[in-house]
Amino acid sequence: MATTITSSDTINAGEHVFIKMPSDNVKCLVLKPNTTVSLGKFGTFKANDIIGRAWGHTYEIYDKDNKTRVYHLDEINEVEETENNNREIIDDGSSQKLSLEEIKALKSEGLKGELTGEEIVNKLKESHATFEKKTAYSQAKYLQKKGKKFHRIFTPIKPTTYSVNEYFYTKNPAKIRDIRMDTLSQLLSYSNVHAGCKLLVVDDTQGMIVSALAERMGGMGTILGLYDGDNPHYDVLKYMNFSQEILDSVKVLSWLRIHRPADETSSISPTNQPTTANQQQILQMTLTGKDLEGYHRRLKAYTIVEEARKILFQADFDGLIIASQYQPESILPKLLPYIRGSRPVVVYHPHKEALLETSTWMRKCPDLLAPQLTESWLRKSQVLPGRTHPEMSTWGSGGCLLTATRVLDQPVQAALTKRERAAMEKKNAEAKKLKREREESENNAASSSSSSSLSVEATPSTTTTTATASTTTTTTTTTTTVLETEVVVESAEAIKEENDGDERAVKRVKQE
Amino acid sequence: MSIIRVKEGEYFNCKFGSYKHADMIGLEYGTKLGSNTVLPHRTQILYIADISFVMDFLNLKPGMSMIESGTGSGSFSHSIVRTLAPTGHLYTFEYHQERVNAAKKEFEDHGLLDMVTLQCRDVCKDGFGLENKVDAVFLDLPAPWEAVASAKKAFKQDKIGKICTFSPCIEQISRTVTALSENGFVDIQMFECLIRFNEIRVIPMWTIEEAMEKQRAIEKKRKRATPRTTRENKSGEQKDQEDEEEENDESSAKSKSIKVEASIDDSNVSSEAATPISTSGSDAEEGVSVVFPTSSPAPTPATAEPRERIDPKNITVTKLPLEQRGHTSYLMFATFTPVVQQSSPTQPSAEGKQ
Repeated sequence: MATTITSSDTINAGEHVFIKMPSDNVKCLVLKPNTTVSLGKFGTFKANDIIGRAWGHTYEIYDKDNKTRVYHLDEINEVEETENNNREIIDDGSSQKLSLEEIKALKSEGLKGELTGEEIVNKLKESHATFEKKTAYSQAKYLQKKGKKFHRIFTPIKPTTYSVNEYFYTKNPAKIRDIRMDTLSQLLSYSNVHAGCKLLVVDDTQGMIVSALAERMGGMGTILGLYDGDNPHYDVLKYMNFSQEILDSVKVLSWLRIHRPADETSSISPTNQPTTANQQQILQMTLTGKDLEGYHRRLKAYTIVEEARKILFQADFDGLIIASQYQPESILPKLLPYIRGSRPVVVYHPHKEALLETSTWMRKCPDLLAPQLTESWLRKSQVLPGRTHPEMSTWGSGGCLLTATRVLDQPVQAALTKRERAAMEKKNAEAKKLKREREESENNAASSSSSSSLSVEATPSTTTTTATASTTTTTTTTTTTVLETEVVVESAEAIKEENDGDERAVKRVKQE
Repeated sequence: MSIIRVKEGEYFNCKFGSYKHADMIGLEYGTKLGSNTVLPHRTQILYIADISFVMDFLNLKPGMSMIESGTGSGSFSHSIVRTLAPTGHLYTFEYHQERVNAAKKEFEDHGLLDMVTLQCRDVCKDGFGLENKVDAVFLDLPAPWEAVASAKKAFKQDKIGKICTFSPCIEQISRTVTALSENGFVDIQMFECLIRFNEIRVIPMWTIEEAMEKQRAIEKKRKRATPRTTRENKSGEQKDQEDEEEENDESSAKSKSIKVEASIDDSNVSSEAATPISTSGSDAEEGVSVVFPTSSPAPTPATAEPRERIDPKNITVTKLPLEQRGHTSYLMFATFTPVVQQSSPTQPSAEGKQ
């Protein structure tokens, strides 16, 4: 065959795999060679039987030795309507002629491999007194229901963003902060992720979002994840069977390490800052045994942190994604300066109410444009010819997204009159002073208590949030930034005209 | 229906095209006119909810190959190519020559030609002409079931593949399910996905006490405006204070409401729209009917004497728009199962089932 199968197309030993059972339950496991995998009442299979095979098959456990073979699912056929109806069917529990003990016996025979699931279902059907009286739809439903109980088939599912999300959303939605596949897919679209981009992420969904972004980038580009606590909790990443290349594209940085108080530097750096290669050499020569090991460990940790900080301070991110448990509007002003202009900002939260204040904040922020709060709705249907309908129960909330565009706020100084510019500069100076003071107090707070507060040092953008927020002189508070800019232009021009008029008037007076 | 002022040299533009005013001058009323130019018609593009969900379900990522049909306006094609880039490839098919030309120009302008193969081809009749080439197939066609068999051949035969069909009608879904199943596709699932856009507002939320307080302030103002109260008010701010205390006293409610009735003609009274003036309960109990001039259009004078401001608590609320999308299309997905390898580790492909 022309196509070459790569390792990601086959089921590999030592990797994660989801096993879907007839009951629709999914089991997650790491496949170890030469082991057997138990699926409870659906039987046991040998890991070696599926290792090395392509994804996409369904297997049947068919004999005493737990052998498996590829199982071909039935074609879905139209149900032929019959004259039957349920008029004569009485629910008195006497329809099934087999006793509970007899059914149990069948089941254990099945587990021993003496009967296939299909044979059991057939026996149940044959001993069902009113099966023939059932409507065709009801018969089909009966067989399907019993099949889910007695068929000994399973399907290995490849971990992908979709399947991993589906697994956790069904099993433990709190772990991934309730983000559902459709909301996650929209987050991917809004964040404009693609190979080669550079993203700044605050992910408290156990790495669900980071995994999804990393899959889309395929190891090309950089994701920088900011975390609090001792370690980043990106547990979901390990389920994705990512190549080392993709894992390497994910960098992490602790909020506490973005800015180090002076005294902290020495404790993290391997020694008292070995600046030159020569110094390092000397250190390596003088240190021995455990001390040297410790030195190398600290040096490595230090280098990783420094590298991550460098990535952050380059301030050229193509997008900001926040799915934090902390207040988004407290995070946004700290991270916006690192995002380039005309790039998306996406905030995820499981609760809409938590995003309302953020949205209001965004509207007032001159560095963001057109915030939009969306919620996704998803419905699944049963599709069978002649029997298609939405499923009886569907998903409720899948989380909310707040999206906006990062803009570079430019006060339109050229269009301002002298008087106006002076007023603006005064205001800017005041705002800067205020900001400095706040930062200083924050720094003090940070160094006194080891909380996760931090300040933005080395603000990369020339415009600062607080300074520009006060440039508008005539606008109302709830307009968007673009409107504000326009209004500034207009008002400035109007004032200019007014001034021109005044000047002319003055001249006229003089002439007279 | 629009009203226009007819003027030589002007155009009337609407979604049906462009109409020269000059063409209608001199004609009898009621004469039908054809449009001069038809606005360039391109096909409806997919919505972000559908695009996102389809791309996620098909597991699109860099390096994959995919089929799309039809190309339409090329909107989804762009999303796909951006995701498959830099090493993947999109085969896109469209049977409408003009759409092909427009899309081709765009792919060229956007530097995507090396990642896109665009063909003018009726895939329902002639198939895709591809074998063993792609990982995913997306069909947005009037009759997707006609293209399913050919799509099956186009999949890389030795690995798993995913197909999605996009159809607005449930009848199309029925026929496609049958075709997919007949061609051996499994795990057929169907979804609908919509995005709800929330409007965010900050609204004042008055307590009933605050509303009453405000109402009392209005009443007091009216009182002041009448000659009698004006005279009383001459004693200054202290008097105001007393008035307020007096008003808080429930026993004086009756006398107060009578005063209000007396001053009801006062045109100076403004009622702000945001103020929830309900039919005043306590006054009604007293048996005195008070009619507020709620329709009074008089604006609040800008230079009004300082009033007591009652600031209600503001709350931020969301509201779904009155009208929103209810349906786009049904997204149906199925899995292509790889052809069973003869050299599989254990036993050859079993008969499966009889």
